[in-house]
Amino acid sequence: MAAPSFDAIVVGSGITGGWAAKELCERGLKTLVLEAGRPIDPARDYVEHVPPWEMKFRGFGDRKALERDQFIQRHCYACNEYSGKFFVNDRDNPYTFDPAKPFHWIRGRQVGGKSIMWGRQVYRWSDLDFDANARDGFGVDWPIRYADIAPWYDHVEEFIGISGEALGLPQLPDGKFLPPMALNCAEQVVKDGIAKHFAGERVLTIGRAAILTQAHGGRAACHYCGPCERGCITHSYFNSIGVTLPAARATGRLTLRPYSVVHSVIYDEQRDRAAGVRVIDGQTREALEFRARIVFLCASTLESTRILLNSKTRRFPTGLANSSGVLGHNLMDHAMGGGANGTIPGMEDRSVHGNRPNGIYVPRFRNVKTPHPAFLRGYGFQGGGGRGGWGRAASQPGFGVELKRALRTQGPWGFSLYGFGECLPRPTNSVEIDPDKVDAWGVPALRIHCEWSDNERKLLHDMSVSGAEMLEAAGAKDVTPFVDDNPPGLTIHEMGTARMGRDPKTSVLNAHNQCHDVKNLFVTDGACMASSACQNPSITYMALTARAAAYAVESMNRREL
Amino acid sequence: MNRRELCRVLGAAVASPALSRLSANELWAVGRRAHARGPGLGFRVLDPHQAETVEIIAELIIPETDTPGARAARLPEFIDLLLAEWAPDDDRKQFLDGLADVDARARAASAADFRSASEAQRVAILTALDAEAQEARKAKADGKPHFFDHMKFVTVYGYCTSEAGATAELHYEAIPGAFEPCAPMDRWRAAPGDF
Repeated sequence: MAAPSFDAIVVGSGITGGWAAKELCERGLKTLVLEAGRPIDPARDYVEHVPPWEMKFRGFGDRKALERDQFIQRHCYACNEYSGKFFVNDRDNPYTFDPAKPFHWIRGRQVGGKSIMWGRQVYRWSDLDFDANARDGFGVDWPIRYADIAPWYDHVEEFIGISGEALGLPQLPDGKFLPPMALNCAEQVVKDGIAKHFAGERVLTIGRAAILTQAHGGRAACHYCGPCERGCITHSYFNSIGVTLPAARATGRLTLRPYSVVHSVIYDEQRDRAAGVRVIDGQTREALEFRARIVFLCASTLESTRILLNSKTRRFPTGLANSSGVLGHNLMDHAMGGGANGTIPGMEDRSVHGNRPNGIYVPRFRNVKTPHPAFLRGYGFQGGGGRGGWGRAASQPGFGVELKRALRTQGPWGFSLYGFGECLPRPTNSVEIDPDKVDAWGVPALRIHCEWSDNERKLLHDMSVSGAEMLEAAGAKDVTPFVDDNPPGLTIHEMGTARMGRDPKTSVLNAHNQCHDVKNLFVTDGACMASSACQNPSITYMALTARAAAYAVESMNRREL
Repeated sequence: MNRRELCRVLGAAVASPALSRLSANELWAVGRRAHARGPGLGFRVLDPHQAETVEIIAELIIPETDTPGARAARLPEFIDLLLAEWAPDDDRKQFLDGLADVDARARAASAADFRSASEAQRVAILTALDAEAQEARKAKADGKPHFFDHMKFVTVYGYCTSEAGATAELHYEAIPGAFEPCAPMDRWRAAPGDF
């Protein structure tokens, strides 16, 4: 029997897969979306309004199950008793690394992918970022500049709805913003203190977030329950289930197949094209094939690269579209966790009402106007202010009526600045297929080699110094600088390994996320990134995906594909 | 948050195409049916004497006042679950040894056990334990927490995450509906993100 045939196959249904599906379907293509994991029904699976007393362990989580089945995923703050079901089972999804150089690979395999529990922070890149490799010589030059992607940022932002404040900063271009969320009392104090002492150079603003502050596109404004990573029945934050996949479905051209573990891309040597994909059915383990005129890999940074590495042919013995030899190399993740904590005195008669699922942002200020003597590139801060919660009563002396009274009050206003730093692209940070390991579906697994370089360590240290400076300037007490020892991967901004570039000899993808070697094969998730900047990357992946989909369909219409 | 308020807050959402197939009552129930706890399994680690001792200590830590105390939060059931399914073996042993020690201290104060000790004797025992726990914490900040620290932690945590405690003491609202960034602090108004 002939394999089922489509105009386009999209591998993955998350942040980028949803965008590829929407854009390809809306441009007239009969599109098959293959998702490795299970379907998600918001009415059944979202748990944001389940009160703690209805959770078996009241939010503690099932310790033994986590240690057995999610020994990697549990390192992520969002993998808790409520939302742990949106993270993979680590026994079914193995990968290997040198124990002395851990990489925490945090993954979501279900319809919606990690867009269900992503951090929702949205920051455009600027030419400071797209020029970076050309300027200092790390990595290869980006084949695009801000002007190439700006209209696609507009396109994506207008559709999904981004709340935020316009600042007019060249290093962090403004977007199409819905009204910003409000800063709380402590954040306003720190904002004013920074403005006074670092006028023009450093700025504190509310986070730019893919969360609605007013009704938008048939979706309701945020109701401030707080934990978006548990799902959102009102679709008030962006995920593919509530936003892009419904748009794709509305065209009547979408076929979404869950439980479809893509093993590899089928390469037609005679026609020098991708012919489709090989799939293992996630439930029956049956081997299947699907055919299409074009293939978009949107399976997440390392899954897309893994699929290419597993697609070896005579012409491409080290992985499909790897004539350059750089496939798998130049893995990056943001260096996270230098910063400072402090206490903001006063305002003890004030608190917040509602959980704002968003924090503050301090845009990059290092190596923007003047070069820093110690390191390349830069970092931004996230974080925010808040009063101590009810849990602190447990560590106070005493018991009885007095302890109960302490429960009713809140602690002083604390404040944290938490840095996210750019990671240099380096060939030695890489992935390859581990010849001795397969996953639960028999697909060869990855071996990951990744560690921070001196430049990232210097950024982390500088975050602790500059973070403390800003808190001191804002009048904070008990200012404590820190540098957390987070392994790469845990920031969940892993990117690179199938980079874009101008030269087919040194890059896998061209300026349109199209494989130099295989013209009807596109990779539009984080694997495509040639550098990491320091901004949260998802909005850039979305814009690149929409841009690549438009290009692919135009090429097909011109009969070039 | 009652159903009528929920309906008001979600008014816009109910009118949206994605959710129009769900009534407000169904929205309220979203995700909850699957997670409502089944009938109690009975105690698996604590014997009746230990369960009663736990309940008395918990109620002394968080007593009933104008709001319910730990007894209303059914702490022994929660602690038994943690001991049976969550706690590592050495933590379980330490906790049960701690309960036995509470009885030993009651006997030293010439009561039959903690359960039958007078209120004054019970308070004296907990006061001594609390002081020892504070001392132990000062002596070695990274050491294993004292039994009474454990007991206090699970009591506070179990109470605040119980329906009785979260509702009466923390005024839990599943759907705040708005964000007030700098409101007068009159009382807790906790939301899902606080748990």
